[in-house]
Amino acid sequence: MIVVESLRKSLRTGTTTVEILKGIDFTIDKGEFAAIMGASGSGKSTLLGLLAGLDNPTSGNVHLNGTAISYLPEDKLAKLRGRTIGFVFQSYQLIPTLTALENVLLPYELNDESGDRKAGLERARQLLVSVGLESRLDHYPVQLSGGEQQRVALARAFILRPPIVLADEPTGNLDTSNGKHVLDLLLQLNHAEGTTLVLVTHDPALADYATRVITLRDGLVISDHRQSPVATQL
Amino acid sequence: MPSLSYSTAARIAARELRSSRGKFTFVLLSVAIGVAALTGVRGFSSSFRAMLLLRARSIMAADVSARTTQQLTPQEQAGLDKLVAGGGDETPITELLSMASSTTSLDPLLVSVKSVDPAKYPFYGAVVLAPAMPVAQALTPATVAVGDDLLLRLHLKIGDSIKLGTRTYRIVATVVDEPDRLSGSFAAGPRVLLSQTALVDSGLLAAGSHAARRYLFKLPATKQGSASSDDVVAALKTQLETLLPEAQITDYREANPALTKGLDGATGLLTLMSLVALVLGAVGVAMAMRAHLQQRLDSIAIMKSLGAGSGQIMKIYLLQTLLLGLGGGLLGVVLGIGVQLSFPLFLAKLLHITPDFRLDPRVFATGLGAGLLTTLLFTLPPLLDIRNVRPILILRRAVETSDDPFTARLARKLRGSLAQLSAIVLILACLTLIASRVSDSRQVGGYFAAGLALVLLVLLAMSWLTLYLLRVFLGRTRLHLPSAVRHGLSNLYRPGNPSAALLAALGLGVMQIVAVYIAQRAVVQEMQISTAANLPNIFLLDIATDEVEGVRSLLAHQSGVQGTPEILPIVGSRLLSIDGVPASQLKLQHLPRRVLQSINITWPATADAPPLGDKVVEGEWWTAQQSADSVQHPLVAIARQAADHLHVHPGQQMTFAAQDTQFTATVAAIYEPDSRHASSRAEFVVPQPVLAGLPVVWYGGVHCDTAATSLLQRALYEHYPTITVINVAATLETVRQVILQITYVIQFLAAFSIFAGIVILASSIAGTRYRRIREVVVLKTLGATRVRIATIFSIEFAVLGLVAGAVGLVFANLLARLILIHALHFEYHFQPWLNLGAWAATAALTVATGWLASHRILGQKPLEVLREE
Repeated sequence: MIVVESLRKSLRTGTTTVEILKGIDFTIDKGEFAAIMGASGSGKSTLLGLLAGLDNPTSGNVHLNGTAISYLPEDKLAKLRGRTIGFVFQSYQLIPTLTALENVLLPYELNDESGDRKAGLERARQLLVSVGLESRLDHYPVQLSGGEQQRVALARAFILRPPIVLADEPTGNLDTSNGKHVLDLLLQLNHAEGTTLVLVTHDPALADYATRVITLRDGLVISDHRQSPVATQL
Repeated sequence: MPSLSYSTAARIAARELRSSRGKFTFVLLSVAIGVAALTGVRGFSSSFRAMLLLRARSIMAADVSARTTQQLTPQEQAGLDKLVAGGGDETPITELLSMASSTTSLDPLLVSVKSVDPAKYPFYGAVVLAPAMPVAQALTPATVAVGDDLLLRLHLKIGDSIKLGTRTYRIVATVVDEPDRLSGSFAAGPRVLLSQTALVDSGLLAAGSHAARRYLFKLPATKQGSASSDDVVAALKTQLETLLPEAQITDYREANPALTKGLDGATGLLTLMSLVALVLGAVGVAMAMRAHLQQRLDSIAIMKSLGAGSGQIMKIYLLQTLLLGLGGGLLGVVLGIGVQLSFPLFLAKLLHITPDFRLDPRVFATGLGAGLLTTLLFTLPPLLDIRNVRPILILRRAVETSDDPFTARLARKLRGSLAQLSAIVLILACLTLIASRVSDSRQVGGYFAAGLALVLLVLLAMSWLTLYLLRVFLGRTRLHLPSAVRHGLSNLYRPGNPSAALLAALGLGVMQIVAVYIAQRAVVQEMQISTAANLPNIFLLDIATDEVEGVRSLLAHQSGVQGTPEILPIVGSRLLSIDGVPASQLKLQHLPRRVLQSINITWPATADAPPLGDKVVEGEWWTAQQSADSVQHPLVAIARQAADHLHVHPGQQMTFAAQDTQFTATVAAIYEPDSRHASSRAEFVVPQPVLAGLPVVWYGGVHCDTAATSLLQRALYEHYPTITVINVAATLETVRQVILQITYVIQFLAAFSIFAGIVILASSIAGTRYRRIREVVVLKTLGATRVRIATIFSIEFAVLGLVAGAVGLVFANLLARLILIHALHFEYHFQPWLNLGAWAATAALTVATGWLASHRILGQKPLEVLREE
């Protein structure tokens, strides 16, 4: 469960202070698929970053499964993030020096305490097969297309079976057909793993797949409603 | 195509500079430190060298001296006058042995008389008198200055008079130090110093007197006010050798070999350090600009997609480069002036001198020019790369794969890099020019540029090979390696990561820094040996055989005496013939024939080894067996200078006569004597049995604390009044001080060069940190702690440091060996511990710099970076 309390974020640029988030409150239940919508500059990506603990809010707090994360020390936050959250970026953010398989394995190696590396490798391979990249395991990111890179990123987000997956415009850099394919895979994995999914998008068609849509404007929630999602290929 | 105006290009360039101040500060500092090192080291060393050369000249009181026993002919005198007519100067010195006595007692004493022209003598250095007064004031036609041993022996005091020849002279002072004490005659008897007029008045220069004359020459000062260059000194020496074929011509460099070697070592090292500073600065600039242009690839692609041509974009970055080069160069010159001004302050206490440092505008112009030029040159290849940037880059960073064979790919790459290759040739040509300017030698400049190109090529090839091997290793083991190690090693192949260039730059830096360190250490160590505190500074002449043990015992118990005294036997002898050619018909080179009538022969303390300090340069020293058989087969070893004068080599036969005994000895070895030891007083050495039964006098040398020399002289006089004591403690102390000053300055400048080098290399490493920011953010998002990220980076940096260190150290030792043995004529010894230490230090410094540079990005919030996308 994600609980957001009176979340504010301001940024100082030179002499001026820009208020990006002006006080946000909402709760996302376990297993829910929430889409955060809004125009460019509405604060949706900042909100997602704060949900993942990628930055400190100016005030307010975020609770992930009962833990207040907003003011935790950096390393504690990194560990919590590693075990709790899977993150999918718009621009993939794969490590260029690691192969597809190693990129997917990386969160496992960083966070797994079981020491069972074999199991991790098996899971990474399985995920890459499930996103259709069984022939690309040893390829480096630069050897993959944009769609393929995002599929690797999806597999990486799910390797530790995180209870929460956060996705920031995951199809924003892809063409329609690749975008659709990635979205299908995301929803498929989400359904199979039973995770809470928060997706940031400015595309209403994408938001139609969510069970809940939170809309931001100028740093404030202007609407928050639950809906029946459109059918997918699941 | 419409051209981008310079003002627009300058505006874009300036805006980019403003928008990434942090990154450009690194570039600017790299240029500045390089230029500061160059101007600081070069400026300071040229001032200091000029001062040292002046001090070295003071050991002989002149640039060149000519010693002769004959009166100059009018033609010779006219020739000398002509030689110095161009602005130089000349002054004669007359030295002879005579008897002096007190006006109150009739006991005469053998004295060593030296007359000078008080108005001119000495050209360099100073005569120290007690009480202190100038020579011109002390030496009038009626006065003399004497050694304090004369006062002791004749029971006189200052103000009393002595009789010399037919005249009486008032003693006005004692002679504490004469600058040319080491190069003058080592005659028996206390010193009497007087003016030429006074000597003429004494009547001692009657026809047939055995007076020796020395002519001191001073060359005109250069326009900068410093002493003349060695080339000019050598030219004067050659002219004098032609003009006075019978005279012994010596230049100031020969007056004290240890000092000259020190000076040569220092000069070579200072040039090396200046060149190193230049290259390290260039490396810093090249690395910084390369990193900068890599980060601008997106902007360049955007500009191209908007229709900008390569030429227009290059104009922007060329202007930017010029601004950076000029800014960094100016900052470097300011820092360089600071360095030049602060060095003397740091060194003032250490050196006990206040050198006259001038700020030479030419040095700064060279520094600024070198900074600007190296910046431009080293950014030329990356600037030319702009032509190959394709606009598609903004959409996708594709990787080109090709199945063509290696040779075809290489040929294609070479074809595509023709402009870069031409730029490299241009860089080398310009570097040669700069290096020639810095080292004041076109030849050194050429060798330097060629050597640098070769070393860079080898370094790049080795870096490439090492990276390739690591990649093969990684490919085979990657999933079996611990993830941090795998990730750290993989980072070496990060796209756009200049691993090979960084390895080559680090290797080059390590090579130069360690080479400077090894070379300066070798020079300093050897020079410190030559200034060892226990070298003889008091020489004893005419010790009778039955006095030797007594003298040894006295010296052993005398306070202030240090170490074991060197006492050697001398047999007075004559040279009769060489290979059957009588002495009267020998072809001599700059050696008065009269000298052959009184030569000193000694025997070594050890049967099968040369006397202390002597080094065999030709032939071989005899064995103990050959020494035992020497009565039947006499052997002789000759000091190098005497061998040169006589034109003899090992294997030749020399016939000597001592008293009524004659012996013909085969030349076994030519040796280089060490003038700091008593053994250098004899130029011929034979095995002891050859001289058995011949009358022997003994010479001695001992080290005594400068403050206790008077006490020692008194004690010796009381017990052994016939022994002459020559005190050169003050002069040797001057030599020791100058050599110590050289070692301090070398160490100081080497430390500065090394420090500047480390800073430049550190900034090169730090310049790669911008590539890591995104990676840190992703790793943090995926749950990596800072320790984990630091571990990954440490592995990457440690591998870089270890590989660069290994390659750099191999070349450092090769370079140091080359410089020490072939250029400076010092010894080179491989030092395993030093190399191991330097290797570990390189790795540790690389990791530490990497940490320092990454520290800020490790603490950065991921969202700050992601938001910039």
